[in-house]
Amino acid sequence: MIPVSGQALAAARKPLWKMRHSWSWWSIPSLLLLWMLLATQFPSYILPQVWDVAGEGLDWLRSGEIWPHAIASLLEEVGGFGAAIIVSVICGFLAGFYRPFREYLVPINGLFMAIPPIAWAPLMLIIFGIGYTTIVIVIFISAVNPMILTIMEGVLQIQGQEVRAARALGARRWQLFVYVYLPASLPFITAALRIGFSQAWRALVAAEMIGASQGLGWMVSTGGEIGNSRQVLLGIVLIGTFSYLFERLLFRQIEKRYEVWRLT
Amino acid sequence: MQTAESSGGSDLVIRDLHYSYDGNLPIFTGLDLQVQAGEFLAIIGPSGCGKSTLLNLLSGFASPERGRVQLRDRVIRPEDPGLGYVFQRPNLFPWLTAIENVEFGLRMSGMPAAQRRQRALHYFQLVGLAGFENYLTTRLSGGMQQRVSLARALALEPALLLMDEPFSALDAITRETMNDELLRIWDTLGQTVIFITHEIEEAIYLADRIVVLARPPAGIYRSHGNELPRPRSSQTTKTSPLFWEYKKRLIGDIAAVMRQQPVDDAELVEMGLSVATDHA
Repeated sequence: MIPVSGQALAAARKPLWKMRHSWSWWSIPSLLLLWMLLATQFPSYILPQVWDVAGEGLDWLRSGEIWPHAIASLLEEVGGFGAAIIVSVICGFLAGFYRPFREYLVPINGLFMAIPPIAWAPLMLIIFGIGYTTIVIVIFISAVNPMILTIMEGVLQIQGQEVRAARALGARRWQLFVYVYLPASLPFITAALRIGFSQAWRALVAAEMIGASQGLGWMVSTGGEIGNSRQVLLGIVLIGTFSYLFERLLFRQIEKRYEVWRLT
Repeated sequence: MQTAESSGGSDLVIRDLHYSYDGNLPIFTGLDLQVQAGEFLAIIGPSGCGKSTLLNLLSGFASPERGRVQLRDRVIRPEDPGLGYVFQRPNLFPWLTAIENVEFGLRMSGMPAAQRRQRALHYFQLVGLAGFENYLTTRLSGGMQQRVSLARALALEPALLLMDEPFSALDAITRETMNDELLRIWDTLGQTVIFITHEIEEAIYLADRIVVLARPPAGIYRSHGNELPRPRSSQTTKTSPLFWEYKKRLIGDIAAVMRQQPVDDAELVEMGLSVATDHA
């Protein structure tokens, strides 16, 4: 029962035609329009039309060929990003709490951040060969470092007044963690998830282009090799769509849980 | 004005307290102070004289290098349920509603939900916030936030309430209201209060006794008993000749403290103190 601001209520009651229309409704359609216009200037095998790519997508769907690729990419993302979440939450909190660990970790973190993660792909290929492990490791490396940094910075921000208040109210160590650090860290954990996800997703596509036999990145790169620009564009569209869905269905939902109280 | 369980003896004992910032800037060297159960003590002094450091030591957030701080013969820890702390800023938990903030301490002590809600509501009403239970604290005004903070500390029914310039961030009118509210609540509950302030009038209006701190590391400059009759109110108390007499004396004391030779790196001490308050 959290009282909502009057503004939000008023907006909800307004009829559709009186609502302030957002220019964001125009961004994707205008881009599609530009694509269509450009496509009229090129032969279809170089720059296919929007509907050609849509048709290509339908073909892939009908034949069921799309699923192994989409599932392979998703599984790699889940594996690499999932491991990065666990490791970065543990390391981020530890680094936030314990100065020696922080001092030890920050240079390592900086070193990895300075190297584009895809540079690790050839080495991983030599060690693990083409496949799941190689890609998961590359996307883990790419996601975990910025995530650790974000969580650590966040934990460092919490320490202080709220913790003092909680201690004065009798909170023991584990209670501090559960009732203060955890809720207070939700905003920057979400920020870390966002950053980590997008880093992982980029690395995934790049890694699949180098060392995979399936996946969305593989779709794009083989499409390029065989000169099938429809497949290339279909791959690109799918890569963008997955990313968008994760943002809307996952991160946005977590964010809704705290955005009410974060408005100070 | 006695707590139910107090024997009327000395409640808080500070004996031979030594403390220095970072181990080399002495702030207290042998401070002694006793506070009676149910007493309202104000501690006053210019900024940088160690007021907040003293409160950190009293609450157990900082440990003395020598000497002891005891509440009813026990060494104080911040987690002690007998201790309530109202900070300069409200320091509320923004992810909880106002009433959940008040319940926080009771929740930590494991009180069942229904019981703690009832207790929290009692103190919520006592600080005059009835009707705002389910507001997020970020939507409340500064004065209301500080009321929540006060209710939160009171809900644990502490025998000793430490208040660190609790109303200094409020505007003058709100501050005056809060002072009256505090006196009314203290009259009802009768706990021991140690109130840090840099406002002379506030100290005189509230306290039974006013301690003026000297420049570090001297400790206490002077202690004044306050004979102003209770119950006090702005109109009668602040216009009485005795009030002005106390004010004159305290202004004199503060001026004398200010004239004291500051320690060599006084500025460093001040910086150190502010660091100590923020992070200790």
